[in-house]
Amino acid sequence: MRQWCWYFIVTVAAAQPVEERARRILDANCASCHGAAKMGGLDLRTRESALAKGSIVPGKAAESRLIAAVERQGTLRMPPGKNGLERADVATLRNWIDAGAKWTAASNAEPNWWSFKKLKRPPGASIDEFVDGKLREKGLAPNGMADRRTLIRRAYLDLHGLPPAPAEIAAFVEDASPDAWPKLIDKLLASPRYGERWGRHWLDVVRYADTGGFETDIYFPNAWRYRDYVIKAFNEDKPFERFVREQIAGDELYPDDLDLDGGFKVAPSKLANLDARIATGLYTIGPVYHEAALFGGQVRYEWLTDAADTTGEAFLGLTFGCARCHNHKFDPITQRDYHSMMAIFAGSEEREIPVIPQFNIFGFKSGYPNWLRVEELKTAIQKIDSAARQRVVNKVRALFPAAVLEAHAVAVEKRTPAQRELAARLEKAFTEAGLEENAQGKDADIPLTPEESKRRNELIVELGKAALKANPVMQTATVLGHAATVPSIHITHRGDWRSKGEQVPPAFPAALQAKPIDEIANAKLARRAALANWLTEPDHPLAARVYVNRIWHWHFGRGIVATPNDFGRQGEEPTHPELLDWLASDFLANGGSTKRLHKVILLSAAYRRASTHSAANARVDAGNLFLWRANRLRMDAETLRDSVLTASGALNTKMGGRPVVPVLGREEYITMWARNQWPEAMDPAEHDRRSVYLYVKRSFPLPMLTTFDAPDTSVSCARREATTVAPQALTLMNGDFMVRQSGRFAERLRAEEPGNPRAQIVRAWQIALGRAPREPEIEKALAAPSLEKLCLVLLNMNEFLYVD
Amino acid sequence: MHTFNRRQFLEKSALGFGGLAASTLMAQPKNKGKSVIFLFMHGGPSHLDTFDPKPLLKKLHGQPVPPSFGKADFQFTKVDKVPIMASPLEFKPRGQSGVPISSLFENLSRHADDLAVIRSCHHDGFTHVTGQNWMNTGWARVGRPSVGSWVVYGLGSESDNLPAYVVMLDGGIKAGAPAYGSGFLPASFQGTVLRTEGPPILNVNRPEGVSEKMQRETFDLLRFYNERHHSERAEDTELEARMNSYELAFKMQMAVPEVADLTKETTATRELYGLNDPLTSEFGSQCLMARRLVERGVRFVQLYSGGKKGSEVGWDAHNECDQNHTFMASKVDKPIAGLLADLKSRGLLDNTVLLWGGDFGRTPFTDGAEGGGGSRNGRDHNPYGFSVWMAGGGIKGGKIIGATDDIGLRATEDKVTMHDLHATLLGLLGVDHKKLTFQFQGRDFRLTDVGGDNNLTARLTAG
Repeated sequence: MRQWCWYFIVTVAAAQPVEERARRILDANCASCHGAAKMGGLDLRTRESALAKGSIVPGKAAESRLIAAVERQGTLRMPPGKNGLERADVATLRNWIDAGAKWTAASNAEPNWWSFKKLKRPPGASIDEFVDGKLREKGLAPNGMADRRTLIRRAYLDLHGLPPAPAEIAAFVEDASPDAWPKLIDKLLASPRYGERWGRHWLDVVRYADTGGFETDIYFPNAWRYRDYVIKAFNEDKPFERFVREQIAGDELYPDDLDLDGGFKVAPSKLANLDARIATGLYTIGPVYHEAALFGGQVRYEWLTDAADTTGEAFLGLTFGCARCHNHKFDPITQRDYHSMMAIFAGSEEREIPVIPQFNIFGFKSGYPNWLRVEELKTAIQKIDSAARQRVVNKVRALFPAAVLEAHAVAVEKRTPAQRELAARLEKAFTEAGLEENAQGKDADIPLTPEESKRRNELIVELGKAALKANPVMQTATVLGHAATVPSIHITHRGDWRSKGEQVPPAFPAALQAKPIDEIANAKLARRAALANWLTEPDHPLAARVYVNRIWHWHFGRGIVATPNDFGRQGEEPTHPELLDWLASDFLANGGSTKRLHKVILLSAAYRRASTHSAANARVDAGNLFLWRANRLRMDAETLRDSVLTASGALNTKMGGRPVVPVLGREEYITMWARNQWPEAMDPAEHDRRSVYLYVKRSFPLPMLTTFDAPDTSVSCARREATTVAPQALTLMNGDFMVRQSGRFAERLRAEEPGNPRAQIVRAWQIALGRAPREPEIEKALAAPSLEKLCLVLLNMNEFLYVD
Repeated sequence: MHTFNRRQFLEKSALGFGGLAASTLMAQPKNKGKSVIFLFMHGGPSHLDTFDPKPLLKKLHGQPVPPSFGKADFQFTKVDKVPIMASPLEFKPRGQSGVPISSLFENLSRHADDLAVIRSCHHDGFTHVTGQNWMNTGWARVGRPSVGSWVVYGLGSESDNLPAYVVMLDGGIKAGAPAYGSGFLPASFQGTVLRTEGPPILNVNRPEGVSEKMQRETFDLLRFYNERHHSERAEDTELEARMNSYELAFKMQMAVPEVADLTKETTATRELYGLNDPLTSEFGSQCLMARRLVERGVRFVQLYSGGKKGSEVGWDAHNECDQNHTFMASKVDKPIAGLLADLKSRGLLDNTVLLWGGDFGRTPFTDGAEGGGGSRNGRDHNPYGFSVWMAGGGIKGGKIIGATDDIGLRATEDKVTMHDLHATLLGLLGVDHKKLTFQFQGRDFRLTDVGGDNNLTARLTAG
């Protein structure tokens, strides 16, 4: 808040130190003449040369010739031309000189941005030491600890994304042992529900989806294997280093011939490597613009940009997508850096590999004739259909004069306007005769003779039987592998894939001052391995800081750096920089164990505080940046849906596998392009599975989840919004899903407390809110329109949706 | 039965949120504006091909930019590497006032005497997100409340059954939800998105078999429990916003289907907005909906033309600017003209402020990054000088405010920052932009920050 007096410079630039702004002004306005060209003998490229001629007198703007020139007071008026500098820029230069004209070394000498400096462990022993220090500094008195009931609900919803069962709450509240809290944390971290919740967080970061998006929205048959890999990685507490290395270069670093030996059993060591390969599926689930495949080069270019963007955001915490087109205005990430990152991925491409042992591959091939039988039956049915179709065509054609038929016979692009008009009449008649399939996927409607009809029905039955025996697809995983040739990467003109500028080698962003990687330029099959190795160096400036900050963000609702995907100059600076470094160093020193990190955080007083308000604290820190209280957080979309299913008793905890296509509300189908692209799960129990397993279709995100701010899957999402708008209320009060679940919740209560409305109410409160209702609440509940409506109300309450 | 009317709303605002009181805001009560319709051309329309003719460009066409116009940062273009590109479009003086408008807007031109064209707008956001943030929130970075949120915060809602602030998107917008978000203002002031395909809001119909009475009882029961819960957390405006969103939702069950039913309009009206032509029907429906919304007391409506849909680029004419703008304008010209005509004939124009603009303007030279380009007749983003227009809300039209330099690169005369523009918008609604404040992080924030001194309200409304 340094510069409020000049509104016109309180812009993006205001967040940058005055030195940087001043030097940008010099670069932009003066350097073309007073740089290498040294016009008038003045060179403004270094401090010495700028001071040499008295152009700049540190501490004394009034005496600096530069200021006289840009203020256009005397005969020397710079820069030349009518307009001169903006007043704001002149003020910046003045301030900078008056403050001593600080001129730190150029950015390529030593990184001068905090997040680009190597990670070093600051002294300190606990989170609270850092947090409390800041609180004291700001004069903030932290809240006391939350009560047990609040804590267990907070912990369950945080670590599992599900509310605790009443018995769990009771046990924890009554547990008098001093280690009740650490025991609870351990128990929660050991449950597979943990990986489902925290895997979902990571899936936001890697823009997970089951389809490619855009109009045709191609299906990724194996995306789920990557999703399951992520869930498993969290559940098994895969060390951070390994987690990063597998996703970026699992195939390069953990080579495996995938000769899954052992007959019916696969050796566990082999499966570890298969996992490492599936991890690279991260790079096979980005948005795919189907039509781009008309130009092979464009598909590859789009894929490389997605790889560079996703890697930059997910692992480096740098939003450098802008550098695709031009040099980043505020970060020292250049177009060259960006294309060098693309070059790391050049020569890598998608592969489908079998995930079954050789024995079963042979088994699949031995059964292949079953599939041929299916194909034969399909052909026979199609033959009947096409004969019937031809009859209709002939009948329609017979209604038209020769001129129409002749016009129609002319190739579309060669028809004269008159012929177009004539041909259109025939085409219209074809459509009216029901020969066309419509956009909703409804089949053409063609009449058959009784014999045809009989034969066709027989064939359909045969087809069904044959299909039951046939297995058209071998189980595969979609992973990264290497192309036979490695294309060279050139800087493109404004992101246009057709243009070809200077060729660039694979390299890491120059500003981060990594060792050059020329050894891998030759070893073309290890470029991603080099990237993974660099990212997992113990003092890497960004990787661990970025990861640890994400974990913090997901626990507290706000990161130590509030912009988890942007540790650059457009992002926010850390509220607790030493804490961040301490956490990151401690994390790496302890084997990169995410579960340990959770525990360190949950054991802190900072995490356990009550969420109650304090007017005095709020005057200083309304946004709770310094953690004097716990943030009251609204459940995210998936947690909400899963918690509703938990309350209704319907949650199906089956893990993994193909994405579940859920049923939608009637209105929700209206905007769907093709109904046949939504093959709903036939088993109703599947519809009750956790949200992380639901189908993520890029062109049709699930309305209920979108309404509650589920992320857009086109790019990495570091931070979800939590909006509050009336359509959410309508979804929760009127939506088909909610009506159904509140009905099941009521059924459950009637089954658990038969014939006792008061007991049903008590039970309902304990299930949904984790506490017993108070007398006035019970009174009111007894007068509810119905138990179903009462259940619906419970699932709509702020107390249900918000976590204190 | 609980109701939540405007008076209570303002009381709550006054008591709960930073000392705002309606009476102190009404510094210019003579101004008539009550509602705003903000027509946002996503991608950035070229001022040089629409409202700011530059004859000099014809003379300089194909030549380098004369150095006297100075340098500037652009997203892709280096000023000294690209040629000047004149507009191929014809400008004519329009109406009695003779305000020049290009051939892109033949229909709108018939309302030239209602428009105040501001040619000297500028900010410094040369990417879409920063440009959209500037225009929508008066700040380049994410996190400030949007104009609509400030307006609703200041004036409350005239409707108790529709959201006070409605946004209709054409696909999506680059700046995302924060462009209509409430920033640090309470969550209840954020924009509500009406879907433009299918039902405008999902689940607006009561479940089968639930009577209105039963529904009311259910909502009341919920309010009872939420109030108890809130009483121990009184400072939390988000909880309160969520409670109020249910009251609104209840009433929207009746009001939304009614307002969205465009079949209730006469054939003549539907044709006025271009609903009978597939080219104009999409934006036309949104414009007609906008009128129906403000007619029913909705305070702030924002419509987007040219959001991100598949590979479409909206108004972002980096290539073939002429073709792009001809197509984009053909989709909106008739609907916007229809909206003006319709508001006027219903006597609504006087209390509805229309604002037309986009992310920024475009460059007078061709678009091109280092090393060439410029062959595809496109224009780059230009935040340093661009045009918007306003109409209604008591504006005496047929005016031109400010000017850019002779090639339209920079605003030079009577410069208008986004703070000035926002101060003017508030002024037309009778709100003093300096008094509309919200305390956050120990400081009183304004939509117009510490700017807004070039408030055009008096000049726009003067005869």
